[in-house]
Amino acid sequence: MNPKLQRVVFSLALIAWGAVIIYFYATGRITKYLAPDFRLIALAGGLGLVVVGLFNALTSGQEASCGHDHGPDDAHDHESLDVHPLAAFLILVVPLGLGVAWTKDEFSLGSLTRKGLLDSPAENSALFLNAVMPKLTKEIIEKQHPQDAAGYHDFSLMELFFSSGDPEMRELVEGMRVVTEGRIVKDPEGGMNQRRLYRLFITCCAADSRAIPIIVRFQDAPPEVEENSWMKISGTMRYPDEGMGFVPVLEVDSAAEAAPPPEESMLRRGF
Amino acid sequence: MSPDSKQDFAFAFLSILFEGAPFILLGTLISGFIDIYLPSGTMDRLLPKRRFPAILVAGLLGMVLPVCECAVVPVIRRLVKKGLPVSCALTYMIAAPIVNPITALSTWKAFKGPQIPFGEELSYSASLVMTASRLGLGFLVAVAVGVIVARIPLAKILRQRLVDSLAKESSHNHHHDHGHDHDHDHCHDHGHGCCGHDHHHDERSDNRMVAAFRSAMRDFVDVGVYFTVGVAITALFNTGIAPGAEWLDSLAENQVMAPAALMVLAFVLSLCSTSDAFIAATLDKFTYGAKLAFLVFGPMLDVKLLFLYQTVLRRRFIIGLAIGLFVAIGAAAIAWQSVITSLAAP
Repeated sequence: MNPKLQRVVFSLALIAWGAVIIYFYATGRITKYLAPDFRLIALAGGLGLVVVGLFNALTSGQEASCGHDHGPDDAHDHESLDVHPLAAFLILVVPLGLGVAWTKDEFSLGSLTRKGLLDSPAENSALFLNAVMPKLTKEIIEKQHPQDAAGYHDFSLMELFFSSGDPEMRELVEGMRVVTEGRIVKDPEGGMNQRRLYRLFITCCAADSRAIPIIVRFQDAPPEVEENSWMKISGTMRYPDEGMGFVPVLEVDSAAEAAPPPEESMLRRGF
Repeated sequence: MSPDSKQDFAFAFLSILFEGAPFILLGTLISGFIDIYLPSGTMDRLLPKRRFPAILVAGLLGMVLPVCECAVVPVIRRLVKKGLPVSCALTYMIAAPIVNPITALSTWKAFKGPQIPFGEELSYSASLVMTASRLGLGFLVAVAVGVIVARIPLAKILRQRLVDSLAKESSHNHHHDHGHDHDHDHCHDHGHGCCGHDHHHDERSDNRMVAAFRSAMRDFVDVGVYFTVGVAITALFNTGIAPGAEWLDSLAENQVMAPAALMVLAFVLSLCSTSDAFIAATLDKFTYGAKLAFLVFGPMLDVKLLFLYQTVLRRRFIIGLAIGLFVAIGAAAIAWQSVITSLAAP
């Protein structure tokens, strides 16, 4: 390929990458993909890609020298590639384009199942997750979880999930009236009145996310809402040992559909 | 692909790509500017004269001259021709992609969040543990390779053409003894092929800033191609779309097979060391030890490096190097995980 054309083509690839990142940042969709720590870095990277791409596109016709000599038999130069330039361009741009076209900014339920949605909530002693949880006492619980007008303590779903793995917490929260929110899905092994309420836990990016579920049990038939709807549920916490350890179960007093929170995932902050 | 699979693939693919792209750009900008602006004798001058200290320093040179594994092979090819001891050159080649600030930063960011317990009361962030372990093990392995290589004749390490070129260079220097710090332009009369060292160019024709950005763009595209393919494969495994994803998961609990499987995966994915930590962090079914094996082995040997190494090294040596790295890093990762597990046990 003509060197000038190659530079222009590669510049376009860089600009495309940068533009997609900037677009996702500007529209706020980046919040679904990256933890907060990475969003500004991504924006800086996107802007950098556009700047480098534009610079190279605008100077593509200029003569430039590296200013040093290449020794005998030294095949190295500063622009050649391992793969054909056109193939490189297509590899950079086509998967990116397909990704943008196909994404719905969330995983399907099938993928979430793989990410722990239907795992037993009693299996929550993994180093990866419970190590990030702060240690809590009854005083902290009461201080950090004010009651709503109906007398329910406001808990994040992750706290309820991990409370089952901590004997002290389990004892403190057992029987407590709590309110929490998450996405509701059917529980294939839970009978007619049982559902799972979950949120995603992201460390860095969506690919490393894990579904964090608790069991919710309704006294009567659950409300008819679409799978994966956001719900705010109030009830009483129980931790029955159902053969595989202590499971966090919320016995539902009331449930209502809720607006999605600004952040899909429960990240490291906001406990 | 079903609509759900497309959706899952796209979501995982874009999230890893958004996370890694800025670090690739940072790495390639630095390597592009090093490529153009760094005088070729700099490394030579930084190394001690004695062999073992020189190998040790070569293992740390990546901290001041950071390059990824793609960029390092052409660099050491040139350095070897300029008389840098092969043991030091190979130590630098193996260590620099890992023992450098960009890789340290990206590893730190990728593992930010979780804590790794070292007993009931003591725990450290996964960022710290993984970054320190990765750089430490990478350095030790590279130094070990350098020490071993120092005892092997050049002809068994380097390609014959390079050995011949070195011999010719050595004899040429004896007959053509002059300093490197004076202006002369005879080399340009015969097409950059006479003596293999730097000469001053006509500054008016140089536009090194443009050349540096071009070099950076070339590096970005080069690395970006492998990164994109690697991210795509990872996204397929991550979301369970790829055939064999279940099988790979089934190995995750196996103390021996898990590091081996991830080293093979690193070899196939051929990721850049500046961004591979973001892939490793998504392999959440695997232990930290297996991830460490992935992070140390990948920058030292993968499919693309296999081809790049052949421009410098003999095939037999590459095979020996590959087996040695696989066994040594695998064993180190297994031992590391055993220590972590025993310390974490209540």
